[in-house]
Amino acid sequence: MLALITRRLMTAIPTLLVIILASFFLMRLAPGGPFDGERPLDPATQAALQQAYGLDRPLWEQAWLYISRLVQGDFGPSLVYRDFTVSELIAQGLPISLTLGGLAILLALLIGVTAGLFAAVRAGKATDKTIMMLATVATALPTFVTGPALALFLGLWLGLLPVSGIGEGGAWLIMPVVALALPVSGAIAKLTRAGLASVLKQDHIRSARARGLSETKIMLKHGLRTAMVPVASYLGPAAAGLLTGAVVVETVFGLPGLGRYFVQGALNRDYPLVLGVVTLYAALIILFNLFADLIYGWLDPRMRDG
Amino acid sequence: MSLYTIRNLAVDIAGNRPVEDVSLTVEAGQCTALIGASGSGKSLTCLTPFGLTPGVASGSMLLDGIDLGNADAVRIRDARRRLTGFVFQQPLTALTPHLTVGAQLQEATMQAGAARPPRRELSQKLERVGLARTDERLDQFPHRLSGGERQRVMIAAAIAHSPKLLIADEPTSALDASLRAEIMDLLDELRAEQGLGLLLVSHDLASVEGHADQLVVMDKGRVVESGPASDVITDPKEDYTRRLIAATPRLDEPGPKLPQPGEILLETNLLGVEFARPGWRRGKLRALADANIVVRQGEALAIVGGSGSGKSTLGRAIAGIGPVTQGGIFWDGLPLPERRKRSLAMRRLIQPVFQDPVASLDPQWRVEDIVTEPLRNLRPDLTKVEREELAQQALSEVDLADDFLIRIPASLSGGQAQRVAIARAIIGAPELLVLDEATSALDPLVGAEILKLLGRLQVENGLSLLLITHDIAAARRLCHRIAVMEEGRIVETGDMQAIVKDPRHPATRRLIAAS
Repeated sequence: MLALITRRLMTAIPTLLVIILASFFLMRLAPGGPFDGERPLDPATQAALQQAYGLDRPLWEQAWLYISRLVQGDFGPSLVYRDFTVSELIAQGLPISLTLGGLAILLALLIGVTAGLFAAVRAGKATDKTIMMLATVATALPTFVTGPALALFLGLWLGLLPVSGIGEGGAWLIMPVVALALPVSGAIAKLTRAGLASVLKQDHIRSARARGLSETKIMLKHGLRTAMVPVASYLGPAAAGLLTGAVVVETVFGLPGLGRYFVQGALNRDYPLVLGVVTLYAALIILFNLFADLIYGWLDPRMRDG
Repeated sequence: MSLYTIRNLAVDIAGNRPVEDVSLTVEAGQCTALIGASGSGKSLTCLTPFGLTPGVASGSMLLDGIDLGNADAVRIRDARRRLTGFVFQQPLTALTPHLTVGAQLQEATMQAGAARPPRRELSQKLERVGLARTDERLDQFPHRLSGGERQRVMIAAAIAHSPKLLIADEPTSALDASLRAEIMDLLDELRAEQGLGLLLVSHDLASVEGHADQLVVMDKGRVVESGPASDVITDPKEDYTRRLIAATPRLDEPGPKLPQPGEILLETNLLGVEFARPGWRRGKLRALADANIVVRQGEALAIVGGSGSGKSTLGRAIAGIGPVTQGGIFWDGLPLPERRKRSLAMRRLIQPVFQDPVASLDPQWRVEDIVTEPLRNLRPDLTKVEREELAQQALSEVDLADDFLIRIPASLSGGQAQRVAIARAIIGAPELLVLDEATSALDPLVGAEILKLLGRLQVENGLSLLLITHDIAAARRLCHRIAVMEEGRIVETGDMQAIVKDPRHPATRRLIAAS
């Protein structure tokens, strides 16, 4: 177990390095630069700015400088939000994105697993078909449809919930979290049902049934845990995506999360900001996939022995 | 009154009636064995009255005064909970993977309403079924246990709530020969000790002989013959029973007439195979060490051993489908390189046949594609028409008609599928077949037919055979010589008849005693 964790963390370092370098050079391949505004600056100012941020040096040297600063925990200054460092921007956006994403995962798990369980118990019947249809719809509807729709009904027409920005208490969280959770919960419901359907056919379920246990107990005690393995493998990357901020939802509901900085940064060629967010995303994805691997071992002990 | 009585049982599944007019009784403390080929309806007969199959049972089923025939699902579940214990065929999958042995045993102990048992009591239950280090076992997950250990845990769980009837559906078919005998002995002891009635399902007459009091022989969903076990075996009345008894290989049957072997074809010199340990553990796992075997032209050599003895590793190394880490393989005196370096001509010489015939055929392909595949690789010079002719010829050699060419594997029975697999192996005119448990997944009647077919190929085509099996009695019908394996080493080798008569090594003795 500990060996697995250390090994995975060791392989994470080169992975991260490759991702950072690739995004570094890819971004420089894109035309334009951070100081190409609508009104072009005069060449002297351009050159002065370039020099101030070290953009006039050879590319490989810039890459080396960036990485050596990163190792010390310095993400560098933002080229567009000139009064902030990238670390400060991330520190501002990350908590909002983490709250949104974390709550969305919990909600999606709650809805998805419950729905999947009900569908599996009533396999082939009307309940099953209805749930699976709803799950398909939920998965298919993009957040840029559900988000504004929710805002329109609950916010503008019924006036129940705030439509935009961070308000008092937790009411402002409800709509963005629901909008984020819906497609994920649909996918989880489908995976749970499929997982249970294959587990319930297995021999050990017949053994449990032979003991005269109730169907509910068989389902919860003997079936559900192994059936969650596909859910866990889906949840690793999905959680990383949700936690690091859903660009669309943050934009729709006017929330200053990480996702917004990412898009803005990319459009403005704010190299350090984009690189900082990418590094963070990559680290989180690696971390969540490691979590998923650890959860496998708990869900199905056979996987612990590799 | 009998403990369990079935009269005129019929089972219906989706408009079919796979079981009809079956009657049997189980007395307390006695064993009734239900014998039949796969698909004969024996498992359905045992499990359907208890609601453990998708089928619907009708007829009279009386268990300890409870009329199962007229009971609803709740009553039947209650009967399962209190009165019966079940042991199934596949110990590998019959235990819940994410619950510890202790948790499952505790659940089984409490299933009839008993209080939570102390840990010591659970430990004793495991001891009773012959497990060692029981305290440690309680905290282990099932996958850490071997097949035999898991089957013992299954038995401990099945009798943990002191049921009156134990239903064992092929409890030993997935285990190797020496374990089979141990598990059967354990069931005998428990039966005597607790006055337990045992309903035993098996396809293997030999394994129940000496254990069953009553014998019920089933074929195609009906009872062929039933009566006291000794009478049925010594004096079978029905033709089917007689054929079944004749098909079951026995060590006391007269030895076969085998063709005279020729020159040395295959020789291995101190062959060894090591694997990296699974997971993150260090070190190597030695699956095979210092194996020296010789196979002559037209000769059959049996490689016999329990599961994990390294016999399949040896076979795979020779067939060129498994790794070799030490030693060498020689063909006609010339070294045979490792698999990737073998030329097409070398690959043609040795062809494998595997245990599970259905799983070793691609389900998407037609028989013709399956049988001609070796030719497409080994003989690129042949045209499609020539390949088809050879395929027809190969099928006729395994006694299948031409119309099998267009069939798909799903439409074949186990025996037919194994014939197709043999046709695929012989179509390239190999000189040696490596048969890895090629008959052990088959019913005795079908298995005996396949053995007969192999014997014919041995005589007519001069094929050499390497027969990997755990069943000495079956191997004796074909093989000149035998090599007994244990823990990756050949522990005894020599003439088959001589070794069966006078086994030296304890492993050989165990295998002989078990068959």
